[in-house]
Amino acid sequence: MSEATGSSSAESERRPAPHASVLDWARDRIGWEDFAHLATKKTVPIHRYTVFYYLGGMALFLFLVQVVTGILLLLYYRPSASEAFESVQYVMAEVPFGWLIRSIHSWGANLFVAVVFLHLISTFFLKAYRAPREMTWISGAILLFLTMGFGFSGYLLPWNTLSYFATKVGTDVPAQIPGIGPLLSRILRGGSDVTGATLSRFYGIHVAILPAVTTLVLGVHLFLVQKQGMSVPLLVEKKNGRSMPFVPDFLLRDMVGWLTAVGLLAALSAFFPWELGRKADPFSPAPAGIRPEWYFLWMFQGLKYLPAEIAGVPGETLGVFFFGALALVFLAVPLLDRKSSAGRASPWWNRLAIVAILGAALLTVLAFRPPPGAHR
Amino acid sequence: MKHVGATLLALGLAAAAGAQSPPAPSGASTCIDCHVALDDSRISPPAKAFPGDVHARAGLTCASCHGGDPKAEDQDAAHDARKGFRGKPSPGQIPSLCGDCHADAARMRQFDPKLRVDQLSEYRTSGHGKALAKGDTAVATCASCHGAHGVLPVKDSRSPVHPTRVAQTCNRCHGDAALMTAHKLPSDVYAKYTRSVHFEALTKKGDLSAPVCNSCHGNHGAAPPQVGSVANVCGTCHATFAEQFRASPHQNAFAELGLPGCVTCHENHEIGHPVDAFLSDGAQSKCTSCHEAGSAGARAAAQMYDDLQELERETREARLALRHEAEAGMEVSKVEFELARADEALTKARADVHLAQPAVVRRATAEGLEIARTGKAAAARVRGERAFRRKGLFLSLGLIFVAITALVAKIRTLDRRHG
Repeated sequence: MSEATGSSSAESERRPAPHASVLDWARDRIGWEDFAHLATKKTVPIHRYTVFYYLGGMALFLFLVQVVTGILLLLYYRPSASEAFESVQYVMAEVPFGWLIRSIHSWGANLFVAVVFLHLISTFFLKAYRAPREMTWISGAILLFLTMGFGFSGYLLPWNTLSYFATKVGTDVPAQIPGIGPLLSRILRGGSDVTGATLSRFYGIHVAILPAVTTLVLGVHLFLVQKQGMSVPLLVEKKNGRSMPFVPDFLLRDMVGWLTAVGLLAALSAFFPWELGRKADPFSPAPAGIRPEWYFLWMFQGLKYLPAEIAGVPGETLGVFFFGALALVFLAVPLLDRKSSAGRASPWWNRLAIVAILGAALLTVLAFRPPPGAHR
Repeated sequence: MKHVGATLLALGLAAAAGAQSPPAPSGASTCIDCHVALDDSRISPPAKAFPGDVHARAGLTCASCHGGDPKAEDQDAAHDARKGFRGKPSPGQIPSLCGDCHADAARMRQFDPKLRVDQLSEYRTSGHGKALAKGDTAVATCASCHGAHGVLPVKDSRSPVHPTRVAQTCNRCHGDAALMTAHKLPSDVYAKYTRSVHFEALTKKGDLSAPVCNSCHGNHGAAPPQVGSVANVCGTCHATFAEQFRASPHQNAFAELGLPGCVTCHENHEIGHPVDAFLSDGAQSKCTSCHEAGSAGARAAAQMYDDLQELERETREARLALRHEAEAGMEVSKVEFELARADEALTKARADVHLAQPAVVRRATAEGLEIARTGKAAAARVRGERAFRRKGLFLSLGLIFVAITALVAKIRTLDRRHG
């Protein structure tokens, strides 16, 4: 009896005292001191390019906004050709604050893509991809492709006229690849044309496949950023730089940006609710001015300028190969730019990137011009 | 050599008629060979036109109508009256000549069993046929409308009796002031028709079912519709209106007054777009030409006019309000779609006017008014929602501003602490 009493008292010594706080109780089981230690240890270099560090956090914040608003939209959205448009119409007109959620999701998607672009551009010019951060760049580039995939698949979901015909054009592009092209296009569409089968397919891609892959790649990306710390640009690397703690100094600054983004999204949603348009009618002729989302426009416009045939090869096929090669070069920049990895300037890469960015911007502007004969 | 050249010319003409050029008339015929070669504007054009004629395609020859010997190479032998040569038929002979085949069911069946064979009997009941029977040869016969040697199927858009050309064909005579004056008929009918909704439907909308002259007057039995039968004629297309007119008090009243049904209000050839103002006491009024101001009829017309105007105004205002909200980015497409039912109610109410029963019109407009007012209420609700959103936004932005200010203050404190 006494033994039993003794063992019980020893056990009670190991257990947290009854008056210990719930936090202590949880800390004993989860052990978040390691994470807290990691957060307090993390620092952010201070120099004249520090502002570009905020773009990564902003992209992550906007991604989370997309996840949250996307999940809320899922509660009402119905992925079928007969119900998709009506369900979005219901969200916009009947569901309390449904208009806000959908508008934030749509505006947020565009802002997210824009921030991801800016993040990559700043990363490129600051040479943050140089060794040992090649994998961080590659995972970031993959995240950009995934982001564009989110945009492409999500665009069709409201099943309106513009999205329907833009998807028709977009899913025609892979068909230009010789050999497997038509099969790829068929797989994307779930048939020979854009139908309800395409809609359910795009829905699955948008809400399950892409989020799963993105979470994985994003995890790798964030892990690498955490492991290797913030890259310091070549221009300021050799100076004895100051730094600030990530928590709370940098995080508080990040939050200022996030709150500003929330305000911007709210203002855009209130003043310019995302348009729903007319329900897609596969039997009606394509309206004039069909074009994809703005971030695909440069490719769309570029393909338009290609002649029907170049040296016996269809122009569009060559265009698709060109964009494919461009994507590969973009992905492999850290491996190709040896000078940056060796700590030297690589002005030719900068010039190439400036030409590419200006070219894409010009093609985008040209694509926004109204089609000939359109009413103004 | 001359004959060879003429044959080649005839073949050339046939080839120029297109890929579906008709076969040459069966059997050897010297008629075309000679007539084509003759440099006579009266003689050669018919011969040149005949290979493209629907009769030539069916295997008929010149001799089928003109008689004579189509194999004879000598003119006298070919034109021998003993061989049935009758030359150019006179206008009085043409209907019977065409009727020899076209009124013979057994004969026509050989070419096309579907072809009608009552044209001649119809023609004899027509204004043209009756005048011809009285010896007036300045009237239309078969060839006046169909042509004589280049006759084409009615469905052929080049045919003078194709729907798109029939009014101009009739106008060749009915637009001739001298000829019409002699027959005591107006010569401005075509000019009036070109200002009508029917002409607009035919020429601007390309609606081949839109009425042309023969749709109301008949073709082979062409005659003006009688006063009592006007509603029947219009009713062949406007069935609902005709039915409503027959059920209205106007049916008997018009008959007693000797007024033709539809055309009393809508005109006959110059039928314009009907407007609600027909019911008003204004310049476009139709009712006041019979109903004196203050009479029961005038009051009924005024009530119908007011009801239609109210529904039209309410629907227009609702649509404008909803459009305004849609342009401001609000989602109102479902309500806008619903508003189409108010338009339908207005259309129905306008049709019900032909019943001349204000209560019936009011029932239809009341239904439409409810829809239009629901639309207006929805627009007002959406406008309120838009204002609420703006207020909510400014409140949220205020809160965000406060939060940002607090964050900035905290950041400055930290910066001071870290030096």
